Amino acid sequence: MTPDAIRAMLSDPGLPLALAPLAALGLGAVALLVACVLPVPRWVGGGIFLGSLTAALVFELALLRAETPPGLVLDGTYLADRTSALWGVLFLAATALAWLFSVHYYREDRPFKGEHDFLMLCAAAGMMLMAGAQDLIVFFVGLELLSIPLYALAAFRRARTASVEAGVKYFLLGAFSAAFFLYGAALLYTATGTVSLVELKRIGVQTTLGTAGVALIAASLFFKVSVFPFHLWVPDVYQGSPTPVTVLMATGTKTAAFAFLLNAVFLLPASAAATIAAVALLTMAAGNLAALVQGDVKRMLAFSAVAHAGTLLLVFAGALKGDPDPGGPLQAALFYLAAYVFTAAGSFGLLAWLERDGEPSTSLESLRGLARRRPWAAAAMTLFLLSLGGIPATGGFLGKYLVFYVAIRAHLVAVAVAGILLSVVALAYYLRVVVAMYMQEPSAETVASPPVPGRQSAAPAAIAATACAVLVLAMGLLPGWFLDQLR
Amino acid sequence: MAPSTPILAWLLFLPLAGAVAVLCLPARRADAARWIALATTSAVAVLGTLVFAGFDGSRPEMQYFLERPWFALPGPHGSPVPVSFRLGLDGLSILMVALTAVLMPVVVLSTWGHVAERVKEFMVWMLVMETGMLGVFLSLDLVLFYVFWEVSLIPLYFLVGIWGGERRLYATIKFFLYTFGGSLLMLVGVIALIYRFGSTDVYFLSDHAALLPVQDQLWLFAGFAVAFAIKVPILPFHTWLADAHTEAPTSGSVVLAGVLLKMGTYGLLRFGIAMFPGAAVALAPLFMALGAIGILYGALLAWAQSDLKRLIACSSVSHLGYVVLGLFAMTATGLAGGVLQMVNHGLSTGLLFLLVGMIYERRHTRALDQFGGVAARMPVFAVFLVLAVLSSAGLPGLNGFVGEYLILLGAFERSPFWAVVGTSGVVFGAIYLLMATRKVLFGPLARPENRALNDIGAREVALLVPLTALLVWIGVAPNVFLDRTRASVELVERRIDRARAAAMAETGRPAQLFAKEEPR
Repeated sequence: MTPDAIRAMLSDPGLPLALAPLAALGLGAVALLVACVLPVPRWVGGGIFLGSLTAALVFELALLRAETPPGLVLDGTYLADRTSALWGVLFLAATALAWLFSVHYYREDRPFKGEHDFLMLCAAAGMMLMAGAQDLIVFFVGLELLSIPLYALAAFRRARTASVEAGVKYFLLGAFSAAFFLYGAALLYTATGTVSLVELKRIGVQTTLGTAGVALIAASLFFKVSVFPFHLWVPDVYQGSPTPVTVLMATGTKTAAFAFLLNAVFLLPASAAATIAAVALLTMAAGNLAALVQGDVKRMLAFSAVAHAGTLLLVFAGALKGDPDPGGPLQAALFYLAAYVFTAAGSFGLLAWLERDGEPSTSLESLRGLARRRPWAAAAMTLFLLSLGGIPATGGFLGKYLVFYVAIRAHLVAVAVAGILLSVVALAYYLRVVVAMYMQEPSAETVASPPVPGRQSAAPAAIAATACAVLVLAMGLLPGWFLDQLR
Repeated sequence: MAPSTPILAWLLFLPLAGAVAVLCLPARRADAARWIALATTSAVAVLGTLVFAGFDGSRPEMQYFLERPWFALPGPHGSPVPVSFRLGLDGLSILMVALTAVLMPVVVLSTWGHVAERVKEFMVWMLVMETGMLGVFLSLDLVLFYVFWEVSLIPLYFLVGIWGGERRLYATIKFFLYTFGGSLLMLVGVIALIYRFGSTDVYFLSDHAALLPVQDQLWLFAGFAVAFAIKVPILPFHTWLADAHTEAPTSGSVVLAGVLLKMGTYGLLRFGIAMFPGAAVALAPLFMALGAIGILYGALLAWAQSDLKRLIACSSVSHLGYVVLGLFAMTATGLAGGVLQMVNHGLSTGLLFLLVGMIYERRHTRALDQFGGVAARMPVFAVFLVLAVLSSAGLPGLNGFVGEYLILLGAFERSPFWAVVGTSGVVFGAIYLLMATRKVLFGPLARPENRALNDIGAREVALLVPLTALLVWIGVAPNVFLDRTRASVELVERRIDRARAAAMAETGRPAQLFAKEEPR
């Protein structure tokens, strides 16, 4: 690039607003690292974290309200418009929720909490880059910025084999998928001479080489969103990771990858829609049927995450086929993901809250009789499970409705009907948890085990869980406001 | 047409407000929870009676109409489809709303005897369920109907699962998954209708869906009908009912039999017959057959039971077979009979479940061979039981006869064969009901446990009297009730006749399910 081009790029008036959220997260991350080293009281780290998230949120809201959003900045590699601001708000919400659930979660690893929070901020920044990227290399930077902190976070509880195993598994498979992405991008570059999405939209992908590159890119993204057959890592990684990190993985990673998928949908040929729909159906089947046989709630929710990814893929298939309403798939995906972020964060987060410190007990037995011991937690968990199942009056129902509507509008009726019916299977295993909480007596060990000494306050987790529950109900009962925002 | 007071909104949300009030109580104030629930349901009953009294049966359009915009769904071509909060009553729903409103205080009053634990939660779920059920009958918006339909499943799931009998977990999960699966098929139908017509207004859709070609109507009808068929239940989707009824607590059984099953028949009427008349005409023989077979099958099943509650549960299958037979005869007589029989079944079977509950509270058994000669010790109970049984069997003078007679008359107009089959079901009904009565009430008072029984007290009599009075009233003066449904029923019949005529004109033959294209 010539110095003039660089000067022109940097003097773009929309650039500060476009990059402000990222800058807020980046500065916050650096400040957090510094605070780890300096002898400051513990709350300073938390304050910096929340401060940087809030600043980023303020900038995203400013972007949303801006009369003329910045649009393409940095020489057409990053898009800062209303849609990317909406995704950004979701990412920040996911990160905030994951952090709230993590505040009092760790015991042995508490000294390293500062690094934990730093990694979370990096992941959030990576998510934003992924959603706004209009260039394959910028996307890759975002992908790695999201993934590598998550590898480390997955293995955060270093004394537990499950956590380390999760981290190693995630890292190995993630490295493979990143390599696929790079190779696919390289093939695409060879075929078309550009890595810019804007340029690719203009010239299209015509050659077989380019299509092969796109297929590899798609495979890499399918790994990230845990779609069949790239979903096998999900249960082990979700179960082994510390639960607040699982919250971030289930909500943030999925959302970021889908955001980019929707941006890049034009790369795939329209004839791929049938294949994508079939993959979506297989994913929903694999996720739902595998979840039926799980005895551990965390693992069951992980498989349900796979099933939800399959449902979302239907939106992608519908967008591929061409929707008479161009904003339809995007609105459906945004609403579904928003509902899913709050539901999954709430359900995984409640599990994090209920786990006794240092004693992971997310099995179905440990939840028995929860309704008597902690009635509000049980009620909130029931609400989240019903939303995951798609019962009306919750956000999850309307999200599912919108997604299936897009699928039916794209004439993928059979797949949509099959997907709808798989919800019955889903509800079978969600209800098992409700049965345990409300209709069964606590097992002897739960009753006999004494409360953990020095158990820390649960206020942040309670606030987060309540916020999630309120939002899930609001999205179900008063969806008008949300739907208007997402148009 | 629109009155100034939104009385339907009061009717609908008063139970929910009561539920919130009960929720705010501390858990140990069980009595306060009971009284608040009783007060709320009684207030709803008063409102329901007022609405019933003020309803004008000579006009088929909706009355007490209320509409508030809610949100907008994406439409077929990008234009939004407004979903609104649209409530209204017409001749098809007025009796059901009145039944629900009047039955609930009785149900709440009955819980004094058999709900001792976690009373507050029980009342919350009961009140939420009342809102759900009323919402199903009152909503004139497709999405709103679906929301209330699903929402009314959840409280019963908890009621059976927490306060039910021995096999309650199995029964409640089976009930929920079975019914939910059907509702999901209905969701497909809902999406298809919204996609096709871009509206969620039930009246608008009824007018326009009737103009679709019969093949399209059949698919849409199928989607809705499966959900309703599971709920009613129509053979072969009936397997969830016996377990759910038997394992539910008494009040749960009364609500289930009294109102929830009627949601299925109401749905078949409003979203099946009234909305897709062409498909209804084509499928009528099938449904009439299923109804008649259900009458016999349910009766034979009930005859074979040794558990009194399970016997009454199987009798529900039989009685609702009558309703299906009458509705799908689709003559004014049959439709009116079907609508009335929905109320009758709710009253008589609800009464029977209450009575079974009372004797279960005393003996803790429901096996028929554990009783015998109880009438000697519990004469008042015996009177009510005999009245309920005779109403269920269809004795003239009580309500069951009016409904059954109208249904069989209407069915005979359409299909004499199935009407005869249905009529023979009356005999079987009498057989198993009278057999059960004899085993419980009459015969030698052999067992010592039965000799120690106390008769029912004032509270229990207070429960039973309103329902029994209604049984007699409907039996003696049914026109009070039939008049209110007259206009709407005749409107549906006209719509059906138009569809029948259209089918006849198109093919030169009466409408058939799989009509072959014949060269003209």
